[in-house]
Amino acid sequence: MSMPKGFKAKNGYATVGERGGLGYREIAELMTEGGFEMKHSAARNYFLQGMRKLAGPLVDLYGLSKEEVDRIALDPRFQESVADVIEEGIEL
Amino acid sequence: MILDTYFDNVGKRPLLTREEEVELAKAIENGDARARSKMIESNLRLAISIAKNFRDKGCSFEDLIQESNLGLIRAVDRFDWRKGFKFSTYAVWWIRQAVQSHVAGQSGAIKMPTSARGIMYKAQKFKEEYIEEFGCEPSFEEVATSVGIPADTLRSIYKSGSYAVSLDRPLSSDESGGRTFAEVVGGVDDTDPGEEIDKALIRKLLVGALKKLTPREENIIRLRFGISEDVTDTKNFPLTQTMKKNITQRSK
Repeated sequence: MSMPKGFKAKNGYATVGERGGLGYREIAELMTEGGFEMKHSAARNYFLQGMRKLAGPLVDLYGLSKEEVDRIALDPRFQESVADVIEEGIEL
Repeated sequence: MILDTYFDNVGKRPLLTREEEVELAKAIENGDARARSKMIESNLRLAISIAKNFRDKGCSFEDLIQESNLGLIRAVDRFDWRKGFKFSTYAVWWIRQAVQSHVAGQSGAIKMPTSARGIMYKAQKFKEEYIEEFGCEPSFEEVATSVGIPADTLRSIYKSGSYAVSLDRPLSSDESGGRTFAEVVGGVDDTDPGEEIDKALIRKLLVGALKKLTPREENIIRLRFGISEDVTDTKNFPLTQTMKKNITQRSK
């Protein structure tokens, strides 16, 4: 029986390492230390939830269907752009 | 201005009928100079219309019209009414040949030898045939092989074949002092204004959306991207146990 092939993002993955970013396990570890107990999967879910919130207005702007939110949120090019915007010194 | 007057004058001349053309051609054969002039003057519009097709080849329009008229004169002198063709059918080849040869000789920063022009023509023809057959452009090497020369030589021919345009040259041929090429040609670093507007709009939306994140989402996004305004801010951006261990090991 063949094994499940898993998921592979169409446009690759955002290169957080080059920016000094952390993996989900490290993030989960830090958040747990800070009092928000979570596993790496939860860290990933929070991250993607945030990305979806950011992708929402773009979907409205270009008149795309709501299903596109997930596609954009997962797109590493979008994630890189978000990182660039934050990095430019915008206070969250 | 001068050209406008010229166009006005040329436009006033009536076109010749086929019968008139034959009559004039017969008279020209008998050495009638007035008939020759009439034949030329009545076809100046044709010369202008052909010259117009070469306006973007790097030569001045006045020169093109001049060359075109020379082609027309040659056609008038060689026209044989016995063959039964309309004069314009015959003249168009002479006019086009005259303008083409002027363009080839005058345009370009480097004067190209006839053989190089021949190679360019062959390469262009091969490209067109290739696209028609395969629906895509041939590679540079394929074109070079088809004309039987090394790719580097072909590259040099192409490079020298491109014509130079002065940046101070006006975009419009009228003398009203319009914009020059320098005013509209973008620099290497210039960006598309439309793209810039799009980017600004997206940025604005993102900034708005960033404010809607919960503190936890914000924290996680920042940690994921390694973004912190203050690298010593270990309260908001604390070090993991692994990172602490690494730092301690490095300091030993």
